[in-house]
Amino acid sequence: MYNWLTDCVFYVAAALLVVSSLLVITSRNPVRSVLFLVLCFFCSSILWMLLEAEFLALVLIFVYVGAVMTLFLFVVMMLHIDLEKLKTNFVRYLPIGALIVLGMIGLMGYIIAPEHFSLLAPAHHGADYSNIKELGTALYTHYVYPFELAAVILIVAIISAISLAHRGPRGRKSQDVPSQLNIQRNDRVRLVDVPAEKKE
Amino acid sequence: MLENYFSVLIFILIGVAMGVAPLVLGRLVAPHRPDKEKNSPYECGFDAFEDARLPFDVRFYLVALLFIIFDLETAFFFPWAVVLDKIGWFGFGAMMIFLGLLVIGFIYEWKKGALEWE
Repeated sequence: MYNWLTDCVFYVAAALLVVSSLLVITSRNPVRSVLFLVLCFFCSSILWMLLEAEFLALVLIFVYVGAVMTLFLFVVMMLHIDLEKLKTNFVRYLPIGALIVLGMIGLMGYIIAPEHFSLLAPAHHGADYSNIKELGTALYTHYVYPFELAAVILIVAIISAISLAHRGPRGRKSQDVPSQLNIQRNDRVRLVDVPAEKKE
Repeated sequence: MLENYFSVLIFILIGVAMGVAPLVLGRLVAPHRPDKEKNSPYECGFDAFEDARLPFDVRFYLVALLFIIFDLETAFFFPWAVVLDKIGWFGFGAMMIFLGLLVIGFIYEWKKGALEWE
């Protein structure tokens, strides 16, 4: 019963993943592509859950669907995508695009060796198995140096996001207390010497 | 381990069914006679003036990016909190260094005024 159900969920999720990833690249509306990408992430999250990587499966939804896809939607809406313009040079760029795709497929085939492709699922753990505990004990002891590097990369991301997208205050009506306190009388009041007029 | 998630599977199935069933029923039961006017976008009775997808301000993008960064930070907190009794002071110190580095970034963005909205 157990194996039958997990196999069933696996095949449904995998088929949905393939279909939705095809729809990502074939749908004409970019917003629709992003939404199909969300469906892709959901399906791959189910696949990770079947591999008993529960924390990674939930983080995939939490980070990618919750945050990255919002960003993608913003980017799609922010750019003025002219579909006709995108299609004009399709034939011209086809050879180099095909070359890149072939190279990527070759690299993937080289890295993901054929021995990883099998229908046998990894061994199942008992109900009290916690993937988060395994991950945590490895991450904060053995892999502590890469973990700190992740913080450095996040700082770089903060600084680069601000320097790319922040344009400074424009017409903000907020108080600047130090400059209010340091103001001199001469900056506020201008005394004008008006010559006295004689009475006729 | 997966048996713990069986109820989640049922929940997803019922949720999808609740969403899909009204659409399917509406398609099957309701009369379906579309014409050109019905399918056109409705804008208070006028013809649509322009494309609905206007390019909008880059500041939304900045907020979303900063949100992602701190979202990732919380993702690192979950496993840390679960195994804190196992990893001891070493793990605690590691997380404090991580947090300190991110607080530097947070101070930077606060001082830079990236969190303010005009």
